[in-house]
Amino acid sequence: MPTETITRFSDVADTPPSAAAPALLSRRVGRLLGQLAAALSWLVVIVGALAMVIPFLWMLGVAFRTSSDLYADPARILPDQWTLHGVRAVLDQLPFARLIVNTFAFAGGATILMLLFDSMTAFALARLRFPGRNVVFVLILATLMVPFQVTLVPVFLTLFHLGWLNSYQGLIIPRATSALGIFLLRQFFLRLPFELDDAAHIDGAGNFTVYWRIIVPNAKPALASLFIIQFAALWNDFLWPLVVSNNVNMQTLPAALTIFSSQSGIDHAALMAGAAISLTPLAIAFLLLQRFFVQGVAASGIK
Amino acid sequence: MPFPYRIAQRRFVAATATTVAAALLAAGCSSSPSGGSASSGVVHLSMLTGFTGPDEPSYQALIKEFNATHPDIQVTMTVEPWATVAQKLPASWATGQGPDLATPSSDPGSIFNYIKTNSVLDLSSAAGTGASKIDTAAFPSSVTSAFTVDGKLYAVPANLATLVLYYNKDMFAKAGISGPPTTEADFIADAKKLTLTSGGKTSQYGLSLADNQTIQMWPILQWMSGGDIIGKNNCAVINDQASVAALTQWSQLVMQNHVSPVGQTGADADTLFSSRKAAMEINGPWAADGYKSAGINLGIAEVPVGSAGPVTLGSTVPLMIEKSTPHPAQAEEFLAWYTGKTAQEKFSQVSGFPPSRTDITSAVSSNPVVAMFAKALPYARLYLAGQPNATQIDTDVYVPLIQKITRGANVQASADSAATQINQLTGCKSS
Amino acid sequence: MTTTEAPVAGPGRRPTAPGRRRRRPRFNSAYLFIAPSVILIAVFIAEPIAQSGWMSLHNWTIGEATHKFVGFANYTALFHDSRFWNALRVTVAYTVVVSVGQVLLGLAVAARLRKTTWYSALLRSAYFFPYIASLVVVGIIWKFLLDPQVGLVNAWLGDIGISAPDWLQSTTLALPTVIVIGIWKNVGFAMIVLLASMQQVPAFLYEAATLDGANAWQRFRYVTLPALRPALLFTSVIATITGLQLFDLVFAMTSGGPIFHTESVVMYLYEQGFVNFQMGYASAIAWVLFLIILVISAVQLRVARYRDAD
Repeated sequence: MPTETITRFSDVADTPPSAAAPALLSRRVGRLLGQLAAALSWLVVIVGALAMVIPFLWMLGVAFRTSSDLYADPARILPDQWTLHGVRAVLDQLPFARLIVNTFAFAGGATILMLLFDSMTAFALARLRFPGRNVVFVLILATLMVPFQVTLVPVFLTLFHLGWLNSYQGLIIPRATSALGIFLLRQFFLRLPFELDDAAHIDGAGNFTVYWRIIVPNAKPALASLFIIQFAALWNDFLWPLVVSNNVNMQTLPAALTIFSSQSGIDHAALMAGAAISLTPLAIAFLLLQRFFVQGVAASGIK
Repeated sequence: MPFPYRIAQRRFVAATATTVAAALLAAGCSSSPSGGSASSGVVHLSMLTGFTGPDEPSYQALIKEFNATHPDIQVTMTVEPWATVAQKLPASWATGQGPDLATPSSDPGSIFNYIKTNSVLDLSSAAGTGASKIDTAAFPSSVTSAFTVDGKLYAVPANLATLVLYYNKDMFAKAGISGPPTTEADFIADAKKLTLTSGGKTSQYGLSLADNQTIQMWPILQWMSGGDIIGKNNCAVINDQASVAALTQWSQLVMQNHVSPVGQTGADADTLFSSRKAAMEINGPWAADGYKSAGINLGIAEVPVGSAGPVTLGSTVPLMIEKSTPHPAQAEEFLAWYTGKTAQEKFSQVSGFPPSRTDITSAVSSNPVVAMFAKALPYARLYLAGQPNATQIDTDVYVPLIQKITRGANVQASADSAATQINQLTGCKSS
Repeated sequence: MTTTEAPVAGPGRRPTAPGRRRRRPRFNSAYLFIAPSVILIAVFIAEPIAQSGWMSLHNWTIGEATHKFVGFANYTALFHDSRFWNALRVTVAYTVVVSVGQVLLGLAVAARLRKTTWYSALLRSAYFFPYIASLVVVGIIWKFLLDPQVGLVNAWLGDIGISAPDWLQSTTLALPTVIVIGIWKNVGFAMIVLLASMQQVPAFLYEAATLDGANAWQRFRYVTLPALRPALLFTSVIATITGLQLFDLVFAMTSGGPIFHTESVVMYLYEQGFVNFQMGYASAIAWVLFLIILVISAVQLRVARYRDAD
């Protein structure tokens, strides 16, 4: 991709070899320092990445350790005494298949709806003009500023009055839009060149076509980022499904996992095994979406 | 070509309108009714508790037994973390959407709010000595009085726990101590002796004390010497001589002799003992299995006796019925069975908890561990018994107090300010 | 600023058929675009917020038959509540450090890892992973990692001869520890957003810069950074808004302790609302927090002189 060759660090070989000797030397030293700085920065980044990941590796280790093994030598990441007790506890005590289905339905359903609704709103806020545009944006942004704990009870009452408790629509629809998503996408859409819209309008395209055929395809990095961020947030949200539903059949995975820790003792292996299992789909989703995060830039499409 | 774009736009308009309309129509969709329902004569009761973790199987076993012996009443118990129960239950019960039965909190003081908001059923009429009656006379008196407000009974004990002294026999043997301490003086001496340092750091603690997020242990240390937190007339006595003396003594032991780490949560304290870094811990019945599977040579003894006589802390979880439940009779029948002799005997055997009844001796004697806990029942005291603001007093006053004095704050001064705060919360009139 | 109005559609515009209704002005469809989100937000977020505002003017216990109207009494009580001010201090300290930390580190990491090489992708995934993990699980993992008896951190430090303190129980170290974990958790978010924005920088700008003799650092400073300004602002604003609502992390790790040194405003709100059943007072706390967040965000946006089309 064109961007790659240009932004690559380093060997900007723009000095012809026939330059004067002192200039060549200082440039060489400069290049050496540059390379040293680059190497150092890579080292720091790699150490940082390890710091990001080691806690999870340790968690994975605990999932397979007996408690005496854990207490004896906590500093080890690899278990000395293996046990499948934790994993088995998770699989036995939880109706696993149903939980996974519920969690996917909730997180997946709400996220897909959210991508659609948020991108539509962001498109309007960024690319269309209409009275009250700024007011709407500010109000939407303002809703991000109130903690969920305080709207929890009123929302519960609203769901109750709508008759949506214990239902899938009650679980998904209130979460089908996100002020954060709108803000993020609007941000992104504002940076796309307006010439694209104009060109489309000249061809007679209506707003929806501009939205669907031009803006959305060019917004893949933002949409992919938003997808994974919101999917993860919903996947990990254990309070909301518990608020909406009393029905065990509608419980999601994180909610179920909280049963492994209590005031009277923590089953470390089961808890960590559950956490690991809960994280795995997210990790997979993220790895699969990786290719969307780094993408050739849309603007280069302007000819 | 212009034409398809216009159509696309109109389709979009239609699609949006339809989505929104559909969403609104869906508002009319029915949701499955929560709470009990009856079908072909079988009554279904829902129960919400906070017994997560290793506790849950014992309760589920009991429920299963009830369901097997009562084909016309089927109970389903859902388990959620206490924090979630606390957030959901008030609104659930207020809107009649809640479970028929629930344990609102692990703290017995939580019942007051639900009584105030008229969310729970008065169980007085269900009390008595008949077959389907709740035999309140069999409960320890402290429990019955904790659950009786204005002369009416509102809850039964979902469980009852007492704290005893767990100790590591190997560590005792190594230190040359022949048996567990029986007096407070021995207790202190042993704790000091069992605290070992190596290279300037404490490698073994004599006693694992927790001060937050735990069933409280520090009140026992006060009670041993005749101190207390709140006196008879609802006024604080935490700053009286006996309390201050006890608090000073033990905070000195923690700070100077390092007999215990500072600031442990209940779980931390358990982990310390499980990982063989502490020789003693005051804990409840739930911990026994975990300690054994951690491979500790476990000893269990009664809490050492101080100048005020034998004392320990008891804790009970209230189980209540939703006021607007469609099946009050069946729910009461369930409670009667739950607190009956058969169920309590079985529960004791399965969970290792003492029974909630004082009149079962057979179950008690056959299991030495359970016997030890049951033995403590007569002299077990509830923490902040009968206080409507118990949780607040614990979180806002008592826990910070202990945390301050174990970090060097002046005990008398801290206790005095704690007393002032408590009096504000309890509405005590005298200064 | 470009317009998207009808006039440009002149040449390609279809003639209106006789008798056919005049086509509606184009911008009306904007309302349809925003309709789903706005309706959902209005019903499920805005209305509950308004309801909580109403609650804040009462002594409100959920389930009580009547609620006593007390006007602004809750707010005046709040003003004199030292515990609230402590919580605010804790929350602001956390927010400032975590926002700045996560944006700076996110920027550095995004800059370093912007290529499509497999190792960059791998490292990016590593940085993003903590962000997608659940806050509760992260809290539990770190609580355990930092345990002085059985935790990894102190064990490793002990191995290299450092006698480490009990991080989460120290009145001086507890908040800094929570802050570090907050940064650790959120760097991935800043990184991902800044990365997506970096992708939008047109290639020809870099080409031009190189032709002018700019080295890598100069290209970053004069091409990338200015282009990232909106994204940097965005991540700062979001970091601030979420930071000020700190709850799950402290709830899982410290419960606000020791002695309220890590008690955030939302933790205090939670205790008031769900432990002491004072939903009126809790709502007042929420509204005060809301106003604080609003003011700070407005200041941030104004300082960056942010108008909607940049």
